[in-house]
Amino acid sequence: MIVGNYLAGVALFCIGLYAVLTKRNLIKIVMGLSLMEASTYLLLLSFAYRAHSTAPVLLNPPNGQSAEQLAKGQVADPVLQNICLTAIVIGVAVTGVSLAVIVRIAQHYRTLDSDRVRAMRG
Amino acid sequence: MSPAGLSALLPLTVAIPLAGAAMAPLLGRISGRLPVITSILSLAASTAILLAMASTVYGGEQVTHYMGHWIPVGGQALGVAFSADAWGLTFALVASGIGVLLLLFTLSDQSDLGARELGSFACLFLLLDAALIGVALTGDVINLFVWFEVAALASYALTAFFVERPFALEAAFKILVLTNIAGFAVFLGASLLYANHGGLNFGQLGLAVREHPETVDLIALALLVAGFATKTGLVPFHGWLPDAHTAAPGPVSALFSGLMVNLGIVTIGRLVFQVFLPGTSGPILGLLMVFGLLSAVGGAVFALFQDDLKRLLAYDTISQMGVLAVGLASGTVSGVAGTSYHLVNQALFKSLLFLCAGAVVHATGATQLSEMGGLARRFPALAAGFVVGVIAIAGVPPLNGYVSVGLIHDALRESGQPLPLLLLVVAQTLTIAALGRATWHAFFGAAPEGDYPRDEQLRPGMVVALVGLMGACVGFGVLPTAMLDHVVAPAAGGLLAGAQYGRNLLAGGGALPLAHVHFHYLSVFELATVLATLVAAVPVARWADRVLDAGSGGVGAGGAGGAGAGGVGAGGVGAGGAGGAGAGGVGAGGVGAGVLRALRAVQTGSVNDYAAYLVLGLIVMVAALTLG
Repeated sequence: MIVGNYLAGVALFCIGLYAVLTKRNLIKIVMGLSLMEASTYLLLLSFAYRAHSTAPVLLNPPNGQSAEQLAKGQVADPVLQNICLTAIVIGVAVTGVSLAVIVRIAQHYRTLDSDRVRAMRG
Repeated sequence: MSPAGLSALLPLTVAIPLAGAAMAPLLGRISGRLPVITSILSLAASTAILLAMASTVYGGEQVTHYMGHWIPVGGQALGVAFSADAWGLTFALVASGIGVLLLLFTLSDQSDLGARELGSFACLFLLLDAALIGVALTGDVINLFVWFEVAALASYALTAFFVERPFALEAAFKILVLTNIAGFAVFLGASLLYANHGGLNFGQLGLAVREHPETVDLIALALLVAGFATKTGLVPFHGWLPDAHTAAPGPVSALFSGLMVNLGIVTIGRLVFQVFLPGTSGPILGLLMVFGLLSAVGGAVFALFQDDLKRLLAYDTISQMGVLAVGLASGTVSGVAGTSYHLVNQALFKSLLFLCAGAVVHATGATQLSEMGGLARRFPALAAGFVVGVIAIAGVPPLNGYVSVGLIHDALRESGQPLPLLLLVVAQTLTIAALGRATWHAFFGAAPEGDYPRDEQLRPGMVVALVGLMGACVGFGVLPTAMLDHVVAPAAGGLLAGAQYGRNLLAGGGALPLAHVHFHYLSVFELATVLATLVAAVPVARWADRVLDAGSGGVGAGGAGGAGAGGVGAGGVGAGGAGGAGAGGVGAGGVGAGVLRALRAVQTGSVNDYAAYLVLGLIVMVAALTLG
């Protein structure tokens, strides 16, 4: 089951990368970046997976387990989930900045085609 | 002060600039100068704290602090470790100290900006500088990723700072896409290391991966190095760099080129030598050598055929980053010492050159070399600053570039690598030719007809910053032994003693060995190399001039005719470029025009292409490390 997660993560990453490399529409490029980002979250949460474990919440553990038992490794890795949260926050900020830049580009250049927004080269 | 007392101050070096960054936009509502002055003071405070540690750290001590006092138990670190070793401290000091000078320059240069704009400028500047200090001091791989992203976000906004200029937006989008992909690489690399070894602390990871790295660890290393190589602008990860430097305001280009790109080299050094061990982690040094030489020569060639002054300097930055990577890649004491020395030098002279170029652009309104000329008479201070910077990069004694590049040459000779040495000397010749050409056309050549669009004079803050940087360029060159013994030797020693660094990081501090760095100042080989590159640079520069003249119209940002209609507003220039390059084939010999066309064909300006180069480099990196 967890293998499926990895495969889905890799597939998402490749779809996003494909969009970034081939799509000329700036918004589609940012969508591609967001897909790549989402795939890293999926991969991270899959790294955090432990077989037969519960969520890393030590209050009121299920199935008659005690909090000590959970803390000794019967939970998904909370550190990776935390890192994932940090990355989501950063990702939102980055997407916000990119969309703001795109709005400005659309106003100035009257186009979203990356091939027409390439005055700087050489 | 005792190391324990000092270590408690470590978090303040980033906390004070971050607090200043939070204050700056609010202060901008009161007055325009207030946020800039506040940020100067907060960076000066960071510099003072770092200086207070300097004697301890350069004496061979590693000062370590655990955030929230989460002290490692049984070799397992829970809290983020902040640690000043000589390698990191040198970069942190350079970042904060030069940051003060750049802000001082801004205080008088950008005074035509509104108060709110200056408030946000100061905020972004401080965020970026705080991130640089954080990268230099952190001992935790996810914390490293966070500082990477802080620097990245601030750099996007700073690139797009002149939002009313279309090309600033274009540059911002390119840096955004490329750095974002690099961010994913760093993120995945960091979490792979954690998932495989359950540790984030460099010391803990080092124990797990130094001797017998698994394939997953090598993939993680490849991802991390590729991510930071993008930040550094090594070829083929460099697509964003020239555009971002051209579009940003002068002091920001100086901040990018002098300080921000160096963070990649600092981190690559730390990861390769202090977390991993070069000997056991596949062909990592060979890869760095290849990418470094590619950047050193490629960047210099691009700079040679460039008419836009700031863009030329940006390409030269790529070349200098290549030189730094080659120093690391040699893996010897001399090479690493040369890199740590050159890191300081590059920050000094590149900031100086970009400040001068920014001031020229700001004062005259001209951006292209072909529009400039005779500026030495109008701006003697700027001309002096630019010439000092160029002589320093050219590696002419007694300025600072001579010793650092000489050390890297020594390293390549000691380790018996004649081809890289030859390529470095070629890159050096091309660099001298490119910068010499720029100096001649901007400051001494015939002035163009008619007046410049603008005509302004230098203000006191600008002069102070220029004189400070010039003094440092001369000082670090004239007193090489002081620098070598007290800064470079501990930095190189600590970097090469990676296992000890890791142990200290878990033990709350400890001693690091000093390296024995020896440089023979009056070596016949070095002096002859300098002379030969200077002599060879003259015909190269004249040849570049002829090629560019023959293809006039094809120079600058307009580039080759390109596919389709060309950029909006640049379409006419683009068409002219295609015609000009064709005429050049007849006029100045097919070789030059061919080179010119090839260059334009690589640097297409399309963000998709640049992303493809990056991904290609990433794949090469991963493949070489896992298969090699």
